[in-house]
Amino acid sequence: MATGILSKEVAIYAVPLVTLLLGILIGYLAQRSGYCSIGGFRDYVLFRHTRLLSGYVTLIVASFFGYLLFWFLTPAAMEHFFWALTSNPLMPVPGAPAGLSPAAYLILAAIPGFLIGLICVLLGGCPIRQTVMASEGSYKAAFFFIGMCVGSVIFAAFVSGWVVVLMRAIGLGA
Amino acid sequence: MAAAPDPTSLKYLLSRLSRHPAFLGALIGILAAFSQSLLISAGGPEAYGFCVACHTRDLVNGMTNIITGASLALAPISKNAILPVMSVVGVIIGAFLSAKVHKEHKIKKTDYQEYLIYFIGGFVVLQLAMVFGGCPYRAALRTGYGDITALLFIIMMGLGVIAGTLLMLRKAEKEMN
Repeated sequence: MATGILSKEVAIYAVPLVTLLLGILIGYLAQRSGYCSIGGFRDYVLFRHTRLLSGYVTLIVASFFGYLLFWFLTPAAMEHFFWALTSNPLMPVPGAPAGLSPAAYLILAAIPGFLIGLICVLLGGCPIRQTVMASEGSYKAAFFFIGMCVGSVIFAAFVSGWVVVLMRAIGLGA
Repeated sequence: MAAAPDPTSLKYLLSRLSRHPAFLGALIGILAAFSQSLLISAGGPEAYGFCVACHTRDLVNGMTNIITGASLALAPISKNAILPVMSVVGVIIGAFLSAKVHKEHKIKKTDYQEYLIYFIGGFVVLQLAMVFGGCPYRAALRTGYGDITALLFIIMMGLGVIAGTLLMLRKAEKEMN
């Protein structure tokens, strides 16, 4: 069990507060800069503009250095850094439906990745951009967000189980 | 006529910086790592500092669980804490404040057909993101954390965007002719 700076008793109260403050900061700056991951790729493909893409590339690089920095400072909180070296390199960080084989996770990364890129570019923005546009007063982006909220209940109730059953059915269980 | 802003003044530099996407990218990366080292005792998963799709899932399912007593699946960090992660609420508040302060808040309505398309779009994107275990932002954090599947996700997302852009271009060409 990983331990962070705050003890568990304090952390369970700090979680909503810290994430709320983090979110306000990110939301404010995302509105100022028009931050969008999908938009970055799209602008580069269409116009060779690198401004938005630089935001996403910086995020990947900065997260590596951020995790590296805090791995030095608080090694107990970064139990599995660097993931590919401390765990099975083909297994993902927990968060996806559990109990599948590495091949299943590669399929479950590749297909959703392609489809999310396709759908989001047609709808004009990645999830964070839609959320920010909803706050700016766009009704259609607000409906995108409502769709995500309804989707999360449906996913937890039905889809999550089906994905595991489907993957086991084609022989990709753990 | 207002005088041109002094390019060396701190206020001008800050306003330039706050409008550059790379600044926000760097900030999310560092702060996500910081929030993990601060809060990981409450529960995993790792590389979970910021994610629009997962944190929406945690917020909605966590609140549903609290209000109705259901037991929908959510990440351990939100299950153990007194309230689920609130970053999406923060994003909405922050973006709203910023839009109000800079007078960019504007109600934009369209027709019901478009609302339906966006609703279904949001629904489908969330299913896909949850199947993978993160939106594009958590994919970037996971790549930084050393997860190869997340790197594959980002590459495929780039290909998907290229396919979608070509589709849009073809549609625009058809409308031109």
